[in-house]
Amino acid sequence: MSNTTTLTLRINDEDVTVAFPTHHTLLEVLREECRLTGTKHGCELGECGTCTVLVDGKPMLSCLVLAAEMDGHEIRTVEGMMIGNTLHPLQQAFADLGAAQCGYCTPGILMAAEALLEANPDPTREQIQEALAGNLCRCTGYIKILEAVEWAAATQRGEDTPPAKESIYGSPHAATKGE
Amino acid sequence: MQTSETTIKVGYGDNFKEIKVILPAGDIPPYQPEDKLELIGKSPNRADAFAKVTGRAKYTYDQQLPGMIFGRILRSPHANADIKNIDLTEAKAMPGVRAALSYVDVFGRSAIRYAGQGIAAIAADTEQQAEDALAAIRVDYDVLPFCVTKEASMKDTAPQVGRGDQENVVPARRRRGGRGPSVEEVDAALKSAETVIEETFNTQVQTHSPLETHGVVCDWNGVDLVCYASTQATFGVQREMTSGRGSVKAASAKVLGEFVGGGFGSKFSAGSEGVACALLAKDAGKPVHLMLDRREEQTDAGNRPDAKQNIKLGLNKDGEIVAYKVKNWGTPGSGGGGAGANNDSIYNLGLKHKEELTVRTNCGGARALRAPGWPQGVFALESIMDMAAEKAGVDPIDFRRKHDSHPIRIAQYGIARERSEWDTKRNVVAGSGKGTVKTGLGIGSSLWFQRGGRGAAVRVVIHKNGVVDVRNGAQDIGTGTRTIIGMCAAEELGIDMSNVRTFIGNTDDPRGPGSGGSTTAPTLTPAARLAGFRAKEALLAVVAEAKGWKAEELDLQTAQVVRKDGAALPEKLSFNDACGLMVEDNIDITEDRRPNYDGFTGTNAGVQIAEVEVDTETGQVRVKKITAVSDCGKVINAKLAESQVRGGVIGGVGYGLFERRIMDRGEGRMVNANLESYKVVGMADCPEIDVVFLDVYMGHNNTNVMGLGEPPKVATAAAIANAVYNATGARVTSLPITPRRVLEALARKEKRG
Repeated sequence: MSNTTTLTLRINDEDVTVAFPTHHTLLEVLREECRLTGTKHGCELGECGTCTVLVDGKPMLSCLVLAAEMDGHEIRTVEGMMIGNTLHPLQQAFADLGAAQCGYCTPGILMAAEALLEANPDPTREQIQEALAGNLCRCTGYIKILEAVEWAAATQRGEDTPPAKESIYGSPHAATKGE
Repeated sequence: MQTSETTIKVGYGDNFKEIKVILPAGDIPPYQPEDKLELIGKSPNRADAFAKVTGRAKYTYDQQLPGMIFGRILRSPHANADIKNIDLTEAKAMPGVRAALSYVDVFGRSAIRYAGQGIAAIAADTEQQAEDALAAIRVDYDVLPFCVTKEASMKDTAPQVGRGDQENVVPARRRRGGRGPSVEEVDAALKSAETVIEETFNTQVQTHSPLETHGVVCDWNGVDLVCYASTQATFGVQREMTSGRGSVKAASAKVLGEFVGGGFGSKFSAGSEGVACALLAKDAGKPVHLMLDRREEQTDAGNRPDAKQNIKLGLNKDGEIVAYKVKNWGTPGSGGGGAGANNDSIYNLGLKHKEELTVRTNCGGARALRAPGWPQGVFALESIMDMAAEKAGVDPIDFRRKHDSHPIRIAQYGIARERSEWDTKRNVVAGSGKGTVKTGLGIGSSLWFQRGGRGAAVRVVIHKNGVVDVRNGAQDIGTGTRTIIGMCAAEELGIDMSNVRTFIGNTDDPRGPGSGGSTTAPTLTPAARLAGFRAKEALLAVVAEAKGWKAEELDLQTAQVVRKDGAALPEKLSFNDACGLMVEDNIDITEDRRPNYDGFTGTNAGVQIAEVEVDTETGQVRVKKITAVSDCGKVINAKLAESQVRGGVIGGVGYGLFERRIMDRGEGRMVNANLESYKVVGMADCPEIDVVFLDVYMGHNNTNVMGLGEPPKVATAAAIANAVYNATGARVTSLPITPRRVLEALARKEKRG
């Protein structure tokens, strides 16, 4: 049988003592031992970005690190993103702009975006694309994700810049533009 | 209730007409242009947005049931082989193993026809134990020669892919419909044409690559089989688990798919992995979690077939198409399913003839992929349309209009032309731009045909406290079904979405369709609207009874009971207070989807224009912008409709430039069964996508809704290919348009001078 490691992990500002098979990845331990299933399996090979979490504020693919290496590190997952009972500006922007479609890639993208905005509160479109280049999405077409990150960044800077609206037109009876 | 004849307005913009339709018994007339709608056409957030942005949304992969164990599948390393014997004895004795089965026993299948085909499955306490036990399964193979490309499979000396008398190359099943002209008639028309253009186009195999892989979690709870499934057909999986296939034959099965991480056509069936999981769970007496890994997903969960398409197009001296002849070859892998390419519709193409051949190869089988048959066919059709327009000396849009009679598309050309700045940005002479990095514009069109249909129902429950539940058992694979059924009921009840709870993905709720062919929205929204309308009637009857008012004079608007004539009521009564007047616990209405009736057209149109930048030194193509003019009947939720279009477009960009399954011809395996070297579009590749909707009062059903999932994917790659030609003057006739192919096309052009 495999060896077991017992560690106190610091996850979302809480100390959690867990015993887990030593060879298990952080992804597996977060999901199976800690029951934090917001962090998703996508490929387990570091290709899709779906399992992105923050380790000491930096985005990390949790499928590529062992939980046993996490002693003394601060881990954040999507479950730790809300501020009290309020959505984080990134979460709110993703909800309001429809940046989550099937939603499976969303937690990983939110994590990578949070790390970006911590490091750079006013990123350019290109900097956002670069920061999120490792996160694949098969549904949305990405644009609303980019706009949501821009909007959340502006909100965090205290600016009030309304996001782009849906471009519905072509008929006097056309659907009205987004609210 | 009786059917009733009524006059409705159908159309869009200044193109409306009145038609008489027979409304089905118990139905209500469709939305009309003069209706004042509070919610429909607006952009409320997804009903599940909160769950999705907080990580609370539980997908099948996320299910963790008490005592749950894990299933894994042994797969063939050989592309063509017969299994002589499988011995599970040693594997069953491995630590933690609770159940094991052989696919030969379960599916009666000893022929291995592609690398990655399932052979046996094991459930053990941990995934690692299951993996270890797979290695202890002894399989004796009779290994056979194989072919993994159409070209190899079509040779006289090619190894047989199938078994028995199955031939490698077979004519595709003929499509229904009237008999067209004979091949002799079309040949004669081509012979007498002023000009004949001929070209052969090749497209690749594309995989679905949903971010959540396929799989199920099965639990026999003593009463029935509970099956969490990452599926686009909850009721289809229920059928599989209760009848026939793979001998699961549960007395009853409850299928749950509250959240599904994408599907794109590959997740209709529970698959052999689903059947194996159910049987392992039964045998083990424990819930089993069996999700495919990414490699399995890429090799054994379906794909869009490739296509080779030879087209001859004849023009008369007036530049009109008089004849069109097609020969197609496509491979559905080792299965016998369809691999056709839809390359002979959309336009009026004169006398047409089409021959289609299906070529079996030792590769994983095809499944529907977002507009099956269309992106490959339209790439060829639109390429040759462009070649013909050039030959005729006519602007490509004008040439298409001349051969197009779709009442919606003819308006969309103008919108697309304007929004894409076609007349200023496009090169009148292809490849005439200065410098080494050249830009160009190209066009492609689409056609779709989904009006939804019967066999579904929606349940609306108004609770005494004013909370409204809207329920259907079908799934929401990311399309927004959960949101739009809530909106259609809420619109009738005059309330916003804040007090509406929507429930989806549970076969205990009323029946719904599989999410394929873009059927879900046009099937479910009319039932949701009708159930909302009947629930309103019931609530107003309660109000009338309690207050001594006349129910037929009342309506619900902006969360208030109002008089239809606008006059004041004796007292103000909110929706919530009205609900509080109920004597019974709730109002509970289920309404069936009524049949379709006449409407504006039976089809959606769609026009896309691509703007690209081509580096003629490196061959790199960058898509700068896609103008996507779309229609789906009446837009229910603008934000979600737009999201569907962007998703289809981005899939089309990937298909046009990056994605392709690569088979190792020596080993017979898929080389890039991952997400690293199987390239889907990433954040940095994403172009600007200008989504424009023509809002059409389509008729056919009470919401005027047509399906939208598939149409936006149809034309994108075709438009990109034409834009690359417009930028460079060199035509790439194979997808994906890789730098190498661009450079080769440029070299051929140079050689010709």
